[in-house]
Amino acid sequence: MAFNVLIVDDSSTMRAVVKKAIRVSGFDVGEYREAADGQEALETLRRHWVDVVLTDIHMPRLNGLELVAKMREDELLNSIPVIMVSTEGSEKKVQESIRLGASGYIQKPFHPEQIRRTLSQVMGEAQEGQKNDSAAPEGSDF
Amino acid sequence: MIQPHLKEAISRVMETMFFLPVQFAEGPRTLGQWLPCDATVLEAFIDFRAHRSGRGFLLVPAPCVREMAANFLGLPQAEVSEEQAQDTLKEAVNMMMGQMLSLLDRGGGYALGIPRFGGPADLSKFQEGQSPVAVLAFETGNTHLAAGVIES
Repeated sequence: MAFNVLIVDDSSTMRAVVKKAIRVSGFDVGEYREAADGQEALETLRRHWVDVVLTDIHMPRLNGLELVAKMREDELLNSIPVIMVSTEGSEKKVQESIRLGASGYIQKPFHPEQIRRTLSQVMGEAQEGQKNDSAAPEGSDF
Repeated sequence: MIQPHLKEAISRVMETMFFLPVQFAEGPRTLGQWLPCDATVLEAFIDFRAHRSGRGFLLVPAPCVREMAANFLGLPQAEVSEEQAQDTLKEAVNMMMGQMLSLLDRGGGYALGIPRFGGPADLSKFQEGQSPVAVLAFETGNTHLAAGVIES
């Protein structure tokens, strides 16, 4: 099953590198979308269906942590997994990201295999969540 | 204290993101002696706040910046734009200093600034004795590079 991916980073070069790493990793992607900051990412998410977001943390206008927090508050966007991709890899930053609603964290530098492993884990968990949400409750008419 | 972590950070970043294994120079030398004099050496830097504050810098000859960018992006060198080359150098110093700081302080008591492209490097400002400096000279198969930290 191919997933639609949104890559968020204020560096167009870094967006291209993340895209290349996903391609090299072999993860099955249907469509790539890009955004230069959190604000642009929200605008993109409201116009296009995206299955997973990979975002840098430090960006102008709306940073990656603010983006994930806003997505979790939005009932249309709150089920979309978000993976942080950042040079910072401290336990403090990782925990803060999880607390705000991130589903995964990749520290730069990264191998394509790390991208694939994290995406597979996160998307596998996301699909499991969707199955549980759509299961008919006992005693229903379905 | 900084040097072993910076060394590890440089190795990891150069190999993982730029596919350029490096070897570190042994023994004292000046940057003027180490860096090539027949190519423009470009600089990127990033400020940080940690237990002590400072600035991390990376010095790379221009042809090597292009090689790094090509490897980074998976493009032929001839297709790498000036913007991509500068972005690559900025990302390299960003990742090196980020790795170094996370190795020094796993608790995360540090903050990284925004990486900046400094253009052609003025090597005179890195002379020892002018300010506390940790400098590492290293090489790929083709060229000599340097990175270090100036503490403020």
